[in-house]
Amino acid sequence: MIKRVRALPYRTELGLMLVPYLLGVAGLIGLPALLSVGMAFVFYDALSPPTWAGLANFREILTDPTDPLFKIALANSLYFVALAVPLRTLGALGLALWLNRQRRGVGLYRAAVYLPTVIPDVAYALIWLWIFNPLYGPVNLTLNALNLPTPGWLADGDTAKLVFVIMALFQIGEGFVVLLAGLQNIPPEYYASAAVDGANRWQILRHLTLPLLAPWLLLLTVRDVILSFQTTFTANFIMTGGGPYYATLFLPMEIYNEAFDAFRFGPGAAMMLLMFALTAALIGVMFSFLNDWREADEH
Amino acid sequence: MNTKQNDRNPVSSSVSRKRVSRGLIYHAISWAILILFILPLVWMVSASLRQPGLAPPRIIEWIPNPIAWGNYARLFDLLPVGRYALNSLIVSSLAVPLTLLTASWAGFAMAQLSARGRERLMTFSLVVLMIPVTAVWLTRYVLFAWLGWVNSYLALLAPGIMGSSPLFILLFYWAFRRIPAELYEAARLEGAGAFVIWWRVALPLAGATLVAVGLLAFILYWSDFITPLLYLKSQSLYTLPVGLRQLQEMDRTNWPLLMAGSVVMTTPVIVLFLIVQRYFLQESRLAGIYGQ
Repeated sequence: MIKRVRALPYRTELGLMLVPYLLGVAGLIGLPALLSVGMAFVFYDALSPPTWAGLANFREILTDPTDPLFKIALANSLYFVALAVPLRTLGALGLALWLNRQRRGVGLYRAAVYLPTVIPDVAYALIWLWIFNPLYGPVNLTLNALNLPTPGWLADGDTAKLVFVIMALFQIGEGFVVLLAGLQNIPPEYYASAAVDGANRWQILRHLTLPLLAPWLLLLTVRDVILSFQTTFTANFIMTGGGPYYATLFLPMEIYNEAFDAFRFGPGAAMMLLMFALTAALIGVMFSFLNDWREADEH
Repeated sequence: MNTKQNDRNPVSSSVSRKRVSRGLIYHAISWAILILFILPLVWMVSASLRQPGLAPPRIIEWIPNPIAWGNYARLFDLLPVGRYALNSLIVSSLAVPLTLLTASWAGFAMAQLSARGRERLMTFSLVVLMIPVTAVWLTRYVLFAWLGWVNSYLALLAPGIMGSSPLFILLFYWAFRRIPAELYEAARLEGAGAFVIWWRVALPLAGATLVAVGLLAFILYWSDFITPLLYLKSQSLYTLPVGLRQLQEMDRTNWPLLMAGSVVMTTPVIVLFLIVQRYFLQESRLAGIYGQ
């Protein structure tokens, strides 16, 4: 009698399949995240062994009057997040609402909206560097043809940050797709009964669509706050390197300079921790506003 | 579009005319959106064909005169662009199979677990999805330096171990969940183990997801700038994004050449996107991918 012997029970095999994923996350994200916390409290230059620093790294980046760059970068990043996140979310929402219904050509329009999102970062940065070139760029050529003033854009500290916001507004494909999915998850019967009740378009949007989309919008905004602090790096590195006069020095660029250029890993890690704390605080504030708003809505 | 039918009925002809003009407005605005979003690409291509060294034009030149195809040849003269492209291709084609393997394993295991296990892994994946590369780059660098992975493709390929992105795991998870549970049950009754079911039952029925994740992963590795910037020191290992940066450092004002380089880098991505876009922009699939 031949008895089939299975090497491993089913659940063990499933566990094995999860090993690369879980181990990878632990090694590539978990461990580095833990090490960052430790590194913020030591002096380390990647050559000699680390030595204990206590709070010296934090004191240096926050209070040293000779090196205000962290504070400048912090202010710049906050400016970017405050402008880019709401505009990106609204843009994605507007486009998702507009291109939600299945009509002829809608697939083409959706693909076009998503297209800039897939352009590789370096190429994307170079393209916008060209578009906003003061002399050759299409934007200033257009403004010139319309007899409008032609700003120096990236060469001018007052307008340079705006270029980063504008180029971020074209890469909203992910939010757009997530909101489209959210819209399509709303059962059509809801709309049918709203129509029977005689609700107009605005009322349907305000009282039916938006409340049902709220969880998706929240997820998206949280993700965007986190990402907006981080994703400026490649564009920053390629387009301005932080100039003119640190007007576009965003946090990841400053951290890169500190750690990978000056090999001062300690202060770099301290900046990183502060950036996380700030991101977490911002998200906390967002949630508390949301709770207030919900309570006000219930009364 | 039943406007034709309505036209036969005189009472409803004004209604149908209204509908037609509404349709026109819809398409006019949608086309404006479309043009706005492809404008950066159009300008990139147009600028890549401009003769270098010309004075700035007074109005936008949509089609440059003369058309300088030579910019593309010049690109390959200045830098080993072919070598860089090959390197990018090597990295991507090693990373894609690795990603497909680990992501589909994790997605399959997740789909087969109990409801509680599924929920936990879902939350875990969504949290990981929110962590960008730059959040851990410092200490990851230190870690890889200890392992001796600096200036080697191992550093670039390492994320493949965790399926590259939790999004890919979720895509596989959703695809495997859509397969009727009876198929898995039947295979288990015949004594098949998890790896056999994954290979024989699950994967063959998730072909579309396999293609989509493969292409998305390819785009991810092809476009990656930060990792090669941090880890690759010798020029012979450079991938295209770092090569493009090198080109910029050689001559910051040679826009036609920089744009030609951008076109070379972007074209494969656009082509792959156009193939894969149906999969995740199509109505019926959207809810399946992001829903639940």
